[in-house]
Amino acid sequence: MKNIVEISDPKYPSLLKKIDQPPEKLYYKGNWNAALFEKCLAVVGSRKMTSYGRQITAKLVSEIAAEGITIVSGFMYGIDAAAHKAALAAGGKTIAVMPCGIDLIHPEYQADLYKEILKNDGLIISEFEGAFPPALWTYPRRNRIVAGLSLAAMVIEAGQKSGSLITAGLAEKYKRKLFAVPGQLTSTQSKGTLRLIKAGASIVTCAQDVLAAYGISNHKIPGEKLRSLNLNKLERNIVEKLQQEPMRIDALSRLLEVTASEIGTSVSLMQLKGFLFEEEGKYYVN
Amino acid sequence: MLIKVSSASNSGLQTIAIDVEINVAGKGLPAFEIIGLPNKAVDESRDRVKTAIINSHIQFPSRRITINLAPADIPKEGSFYDLPIAVGILASVVGYQLPEESLFFGELSLDGTLRHTRGALLLSLFAKEKGIKNIFVPKASANEAAIVKGVNVYPIESLNQLSSYFSGEIDLQPAKYIEAKDDWMNAQAEFDMAEILGQEQAKRAAEISASGGHNLFLVGTPGSGKTMLARALAGILPSLSEKESLEVTKIYSASGRIPPEGSLVKTRPFRAPHHTISRVGLIGGSTKPQPGEVSLSHRGILFLDEFSEFPRSVLEALRQPLEDGSLTISRSRERVTYPSRFVLIASANPCPCGYLHHPKKPCLCTSREVEKYRKRVSGPILDRIDLHIDVPVVDIKELAKDRRLKDELEPSAIIRGRVIRARETQKNRFFDDGIHTNAEMKNKHIKKHCPLSKEVRHLLQQAGMNFQLSARSYYKMIKVARTIADLDDSRDITVSHMAEALQYRPRVQERE
Repeated sequence: MKNIVEISDPKYPSLLKKIDQPPEKLYYKGNWNAALFEKCLAVVGSRKMTSYGRQITAKLVSEIAAEGITIVSGFMYGIDAAAHKAALAAGGKTIAVMPCGIDLIHPEYQADLYKEILKNDGLIISEFEGAFPPALWTYPRRNRIVAGLSLAAMVIEAGQKSGSLITAGLAEKYKRKLFAVPGQLTSTQSKGTLRLIKAGASIVTCAQDVLAAYGISNHKIPGEKLRSLNLNKLERNIVEKLQQEPMRIDALSRLLEVTASEIGTSVSLMQLKGFLFEEEGKYYVN
Repeated sequence: MLIKVSSASNSGLQTIAIDVEINVAGKGLPAFEIIGLPNKAVDESRDRVKTAIINSHIQFPSRRITINLAPADIPKEGSFYDLPIAVGILASVVGYQLPEESLFFGELSLDGTLRHTRGALLLSLFAKEKGIKNIFVPKASANEAAIVKGVNVYPIESLNQLSSYFSGEIDLQPAKYIEAKDDWMNAQAEFDMAEILGQEQAKRAAEISASGGHNLFLVGTPGSGKTMLARALAGILPSLSEKESLEVTKIYSASGRIPPEGSLVKTRPFRAPHHTISRVGLIGGSTKPQPGEVSLSHRGILFLDEFSEFPRSVLEALRQPLEDGSLTISRSRERVTYPSRFVLIASANPCPCGYLHHPKKPCLCTSREVEKYRKRVSGPILDRIDLHIDVPVVDIKELAKDRRLKDELEPSAIIRGRVIRARETQKNRFFDDGIHTNAEMKNKHIKKHCPLSKEVRHLLQQAGMNFQLSARSYYKMIKVARTIADLDDSRDITVSHMAEALQYRPRVQERE
């Protein structure tokens, strides 16, 4: 049996029908389960994800997906892939919309993620059949499905001319709720999202902001990890500094006037105990 | 009349005896021939010798001269046969009695003077080994040969001078034995560690690298000071020991890199070849196997800037020298082994454009490109590098403002003191093992010299799981921890030492 759902089919997602030029046919891989389409959130963002983007995607998406919201994204590397991964990690549902024929995996090197999605009852869909190659014009077409399937869209990191702004524009056009995650004013990967916020997109400061749009209100914020209180003085100083701002060992060494060797030792130990984690050389308090 | 003159030929660092047989025939048409598989340089020796003799105002015999280089089945190369050939002809024409137990070696200039010739040290070592008393070498090469005690090195300026000596008109004094003293120059580094602002962790990594002989991989954006750090590292290394100095000088002598009048190499080599270097250039080779950069940096530093830009085939060739500390070059005609015990300092950008994670400049690379760029250096090569460190870009202006900080920066000389102490500890530890540094430890040495307490082993296991350390990385961490403990004057590796060592683990595998 061919995995196709036509527009006339009752299984065809009703939200998607409401957009201009809905796809006539949807090709898919995985088990088509109507429940998947009930509460969808489009999560899109830059391919050039920063470490902040990675962190915040993991945090927000896992909390949202854990509440049963289906995460829809475009399977591109960067924020898209991070969103799919976060949804899977939280044991949630996810749908990947491909910019190419249903038989292709694009980008190819994310084949592992592709398999993971299918294994965990996710869905891969595309309006293109067979081995239709991705092209410049297929990406915006794909974006309209991502936006069309979802009640709301959340943009995490977007550059000045990011493709995710197209998805955001489409979501607004389809009268869907638009969320944008703020970033640093100095980051080029925040230019797009900040512009969206200025233009009226809802600002996201926690998962609850998004969940409220789906009528979920009693979302519990995972409690702060219990921190062992027997930190020594140096460790306490380090944690204190890192809570203000994540930084490198060099900077800690200068601020605390302690050798890099001693800081390195403490930081390694605290990292192994799970108090700290490292991203691109900078240390963060967990 | 048949004359035999002794000489010797170098192949790599090996030397073999060569007999130069000169026959000036009583009959026959005038001719001058060299046999015994001469190459072009040896063949051209005829013209040099003939012109030099004539320009020394000595009658060149108009007779049939045959030169045989024995053993006749080994190919002969090089220009140093000039002197033995000329000496043989002079002896047969003028009838000198040649001194016994003597080796002759040197290239002639057309005016009859002798030129600096490569490999004089090897000749001198060979003479000592074989119990040959005298060697005659060009004056410019005599200092190099006079390092060896117990061999009379006669510095020769010209054919005329030698001829006068043979005829008893003048007396020649052997060059003075050059003693290896403790007045070694400290490696003259371009930069002092105190000149480098910030980079506290990278400097510490450099200190550990210098102490334990660990290879070091620096990753950072352009302008973050990777090159400066590598060059400053040369200044914190201990000076060469007498034995090491001789090893280095041998390689430099064999490849003709000792300047005229030069002698022992006293400073640790610092080699920084450009990334367009060929494989032969890096590891050595060509038809007559010459030492490459890996051997020229023996006992010193091989600095490979822009590590990811080196062709993969060139980098892969580093595996054997990194592992074994020596390198065997096999060619159809000969096999040559050169030592190559160097500390590799590699530096690379984090991505093709270089500005990944730069606080101000945007990175223009896609994550795919970054991934690809990182993979240019293969796992096996990275596995052989013990210390991995990020060198972030620092705001120099900001740091320079802080006077207090500037005044407190440690100069290279103090760091060097600690390095020397740590090396001393290692020397005593490895007395029976035939190795010098912690980095050279093989698994059996690690078992013997690095017993780990239960706590340390637990920490390492925990790190192994959390940081996905490979089995090889596991051993590297122990080696680095050993060096950190040595710097700390500690007999045992403690939890702190191991925790610090973990800072220098490769982070490549962890990245998504």
